[in-house]
Amino acid sequence: MAKLSKLPKIYLAVVFIILYAPIFYLIFYSFNSGGGMSNFESFTLEHYAAVFEDTRLLVILINTIVVALLSALISTAIGVLGAVAILFMRNKAMRNAVLSLNNILIVSPDVIIGASFLILFTLIGVKLGFASVLISHIAFSIPIVVIMVLPKLQEMSPSLIDAALDLGATKRDVLTRVIIPFIKPGILAGFFLALTYSLDDFAVTFFVTGNGFSTLSVEIYSMARAGITLTINALSGLIFLVTVVLVIGYYMISRKTKSPLAGVRK
Amino acid sequence: MKDIIRGAAAILIVSAILLIINAKLSEGGGSAGKNSITVYNWGEYIDPDLLRQFTEVTGIKVIYETFDSNEGMMSKIEQGGTAYDITVPSEYMIEMMKEKDLLLPIDYNKVPNVENIDPYFLDLPFDPDNQYSLPYFWGTVGIAYNPTLLEGQTFESWDDLWDPSLKQDVILVDSARETIGMGLNSLGFSLNSTDLTQLRQATDKLKALSPNVKAVIGDEVTPLMINGEAAVSLTWSGQAADMMYENEDIDYVVPEEGSNLWFDNMVIPRTSKNIDGAHAFINFMLDAEVAAQNADYVGYSTPNLAALDFMDPEVTEDERFYPNEETRSHLEVYRNLGLEMLGVYNELFLEFKMDMK
Repeated sequence: MAKLSKLPKIYLAVVFIILYAPIFYLIFYSFNSGGGMSNFESFTLEHYAAVFEDTRLLVILINTIVVALLSALISTAIGVLGAVAILFMRNKAMRNAVLSLNNILIVSPDVIIGASFLILFTLIGVKLGFASVLISHIAFSIPIVVIMVLPKLQEMSPSLIDAALDLGATKRDVLTRVIIPFIKPGILAGFFLALTYSLDDFAVTFFVTGNGFSTLSVEIYSMARAGITLTINALSGLIFLVTVVLVIGYYMISRKTKSPLAGVRK
Repeated sequence: MKDIIRGAAAILIVSAILLIINAKLSEGGGSAGKNSITVYNWGEYIDPDLLRQFTEVTGIKVIYETFDSNEGMMSKIEQGGTAYDITVPSEYMIEMMKEKDLLLPIDYNKVPNVENIDPYFLDLPFDPDNQYSLPYFWGTVGIAYNPTLLEGQTFESWDDLWDPSLKQDVILVDSARETIGMGLNSLGFSLNSTDLTQLRQATDKLKALSPNVKAVIGDEVTPLMINGEAAVSLTWSGQAADMMYENEDIDYVVPEEGSNLWFDNMVIPRTSKNIDGAHAFINFMLDAEVAAQNADYVGYSTPNLAALDFMDPEVTEDERFYPNEETRSHLEVYRNLGLEMLGVYNELFLEFKMDMK
């Protein structure tokens, strides 16, 4: 790659500063012993201690993580199979119709999705709580996974599958040993995107939480009236740290899977 | 393929471990049996220690959830799905919930602590005889200002906002009832006026204010005031208290012509499954010492007269947040004016905003 000249470098630096400054500002004040975000008094870890003392907040935090992990996992599984099914649809009109339905779900407003889930769950008598939140998070993540995986599938040469079939692979083998290893980067991207979608969704989640089950986004939004405390800063700092670890993990995994056919070898 | 399966298995194991930890943590309430109530409150609106105390005293476990708007709260209660036993709507929302038949009447035999409440806050038009609701916290609408930025100027009357020296200094609330209400108050009319000529006059008076208006915004006003980027704002007393906590220069005043008195009130929604538990909770929160502890934590004004004895006199004697009889007599509670009238308010407010450059 050609070396970047000075101007683009500066531009890039400014963009990154703008993007990261608020986060670091927030984390900086999480160490403030004063009550608010206006003037820094002295260094303290009491807000971090407060996060771990507040059992309710911890329970909500763990809820949020569990829902994100499980919904990302399940929606990735369903989304990948869905994308494969769309690729192999013979009828072109049908394929386009399914794809459009998938895209409509991506662009439809969260509030509408949330409200309709609330109505659906109360109508069929599903108790609001862990299950209802998990189901709705899986539902809004699937279309995202499909969109992430489909381009990878289309990139794949059809002769690869033909060759596998000629060599005597069963359909199952073709899926697990040819297709999935090839599209693995797409799967990973879909999984991580679904994870973040689930972590920060407020609009859908607000409607489907209940019976004591809540997530962090709902909790933080409702604090707005009485003012957000520095405990939330501390919590945000911790989540930022976890995110950084996740991203590093993602790069380690995706570096390993650079050669897409590595998985074919036994 | 193998590593994908391995990754999935790892996620499942981690989730299972986290769920077990969670089950352990939520058990911490330490109560046996199924005796519990579900409380639905604003975020950061109770001292969490009191929930623990309540469970200790009564043996009833509290499942606690929060909401961020009256409207969101009502839609969830209306739809069902969770059996909320207590919630804390604002006064106008109580009128709407009554209309929709979403509330259960309070049985006063089970709430002896009601005698602690200042009679001034009882039997108000939004809920005559307090059939369905009891006050939780209250406050006013007024002017927050920073005298250091204004060469010591002070405010006593709404009309002071029209002072020509305040060019581009005043921040208004982006809410039709508060802003039009200020116009009405400054002319000596009722906040609940449905008289179109009065409303027209109020709007015209507001238009004359526009050279002084810096912005019409929502909650973002708090950091602006704290950082000294704004000098004067129309504000709720709770918000003003937050500002003053962060920046000691700021002062708050309820203008002499009168203003809005707002309430959040405890009610029992019709979905309640533990009505006795709900009454026990209301009674507990009305206990003098409990209410005092809660007011210390939340920082809003408590309607609990007996609680004032347990609080810091510096707080309870602060007439900005515990106004005297004289000021109180000018305060007025919002009524639910109906959709049509609300539309008129909104339209006039929009007209005012469009008139500004």
